[in-house]
Amino acid sequence: MELLGNLGINGKLLLAQIINFLILLWVLKKFVYTPLLNVLEQRQTKIKKGLQDAEEAEKKLEVIKKEEKRVLKKARQEAQKIIEKAEKQAQKNSDEILKDAQKKAETIMQSAQKEIVKEKKKILQEAKSEIANLVFLATEKVVNEKMKAKTDKNLIEKIIKEK
Amino acid sequence: MEISLAPETIAYLGSFPITNTFFITIIISLLIIITSFLLQRKINLIPKGFQNILEWILENLLELIDGVTKNREQTRKFFPVVATIFIFVILSNWIEIVPGLGTIGLKHFQEGKEGIIPFIRSNSADLNMTLALSLVVVILVQFIGITALGVKKYTGKFLVSPLKKPYFVGTFVGALEIISEFAKIISFSFRLFGNIFAGEVLLTVALTLVPYFLPLPFLLLEIFVGFIQALVFAMLALVFMKIATEHH
Repeated sequence: MELLGNLGINGKLLLAQIINFLILLWVLKKFVYTPLLNVLEQRQTKIKKGLQDAEEAEKKLEVIKKEEKRVLKKARQEAQKIIEKAEKQAQKNSDEILKDAQKKAETIMQSAQKEIVKEKKKILQEAKSEIANLVFLATEKVVNEKMKAKTDKNLIEKIIKEK
Repeated sequence: MEISLAPETIAYLGSFPITNTFFITIIISLLIIITSFLLQRKINLIPKGFQNILEWILENLLELIDGVTKNREQTRKFFPVVATIFIFVILSNWIEIVPGLGTIGLKHFQEGKEGIIPFIRSNSADLNMTLALSLVVVILVQFIGITALGVKKYTGKFLVSPLKKPYFVGTFVGALEIISEFAKIISFSFRLFGNIFAGEVLLTVALTLVPYFLPLPFLLLEIFVGFIQALVFAMLALVFMKIATEHH
């Protein structure tokens, strides 16, 4: 025991040091280690999750890009089809319209021709009668002698017709 | 200049002697406790300032312990003790770097000679503190061993019946194990005490011989020694705890 005393070992101090260390252990555990280690773990899981999310997002983006390309291609093809169809339709329409117009023009022409023929006949007839009159008057003047009107006229008309 | 193995008493509180080392112990403890309280309120998922430094230290320590235990659950169990030992011991060790070591203190007369009772003396240079730590560790090791292996298996390490194979050899080895547990206490406490006490003596002597420049390399050396001793104490405690949980 004297040796311990010479080394400065004192029961009271020793006990006080032990208690001091246990208090420190308790305080540090409660206020530093537990919350800090929890935070470390939380951060680790968060970072891991963040990285995973980023990877997933990248993958999704790639898929979306592919989809976008596909949709664009399809849309372009469809647009091409629609344009072709429209062109065809327009061609058809214009053909029809043209045919219609031709038909109409033909009918108009025909009716006009008929009309013209009719008119011509009528005019000719009128002209014939006029001419007959004129000839009759002229003949009358030339002959200077009035015949019976009816027979004369009939005679002249016969002559014209025979001609 | 006066060198004493025992810490010097600077005051009495009733019959309780307050030595300079105990005074320093209280100051370090208060420092740690106040810092813990301040830190605890500021702990955040996004670390800032001091939390960064502490996280760095604790994470390295955690990895070190993981390397020994190879078991995360066990690491979390051992971590508080190991970390507390490391923090407390390294701060205690580094106290000897503080200017005023062995020079500021109470005047006293002994056997007609004038001397100084210094206020600052590293508490690692006090056997009371080192012995207290080693007692705590060794007792804790016994508890950990018992909880991990059960009373029967754990005591079976020390008390081996001489009638079983390999007969008396086993008993002898068991007895050696018991002695080694006590040797742990002594080696633990005297290693730390010896290193830091020697460092203090070295610094005091260097300061007395050549007050300028000469102490500087020794100061750097003592910073290194203080770190190594703290690490050694913590690691040995860890290894003993780990061994206690394993079968032979």
